[in-house]
Amino acid sequence: MRTAIADVLLGGGVLLVLGAIAGTVAMQDALDRLHFAGPASLGGILIAAAALVRSGPSTIALKAGLLALFILATSPVLAHFTARAIREWERGTWKLTADEQERARR
Amino acid sequence: MNIWLAAATVLLAATAPLGWLAFRRSPADGIVAIELAGIVVALAMLAIAEGTNRQPFGDLALILAALSFGGSLVFARFLELGERDE
Repeated sequence: MRTAIADVLLGGGVLLVLGAIAGTVAMQDALDRLHFAGPASLGGILIAAAALVRSGPSTIALKAGLLALFILATSPVLAHFTARAIREWERGTWKLTADEQERARR
Repeated sequence: MNIWLAAATVLLAATAPLGWLAFRRSPADGIVAIELAGIVVALAMLAIAEGTNRQPFGDLALILAALSFGGSLVFARFLELGERDE
């Protein structure tokens, strides 16, 4: 039973990661690609959960849990930092332009 | 080959399109591809560790995730400081 649950979690995790890769490759704009890269961290959590279920309390399960926590904690930080860098690279500033401020007010 | 090694193979093969993206598209697209590839390869290492029952590969996955995070931050900072070729 544990093996079956682990297999389902692993399959779901791999599918999520593949979906994230497909979305990232298919999009045209860097910020859109970044948006689609997000689900990969959720896939990572599923894969780590599969390792936890399969191995039970063990060193490898601890490492899997640590990896999942690390990815979960750093992924949003990295996405934000990268999005800001891309915007700065594309427009010279990350701040809103006058047009964008006007649109945001409406 | 068990299901974990099969998953690792699929994950590693799936990094090929990301490599193409990093080589052929703009630097901004490349950074996104490299960030995603770092996560995918770390997960593949975890799957290899589980599939071969060798715990040291789990350490490699953790170290790779940490270094990939730091490297991506540095790449993003360089992108931010660099100028765009028109």
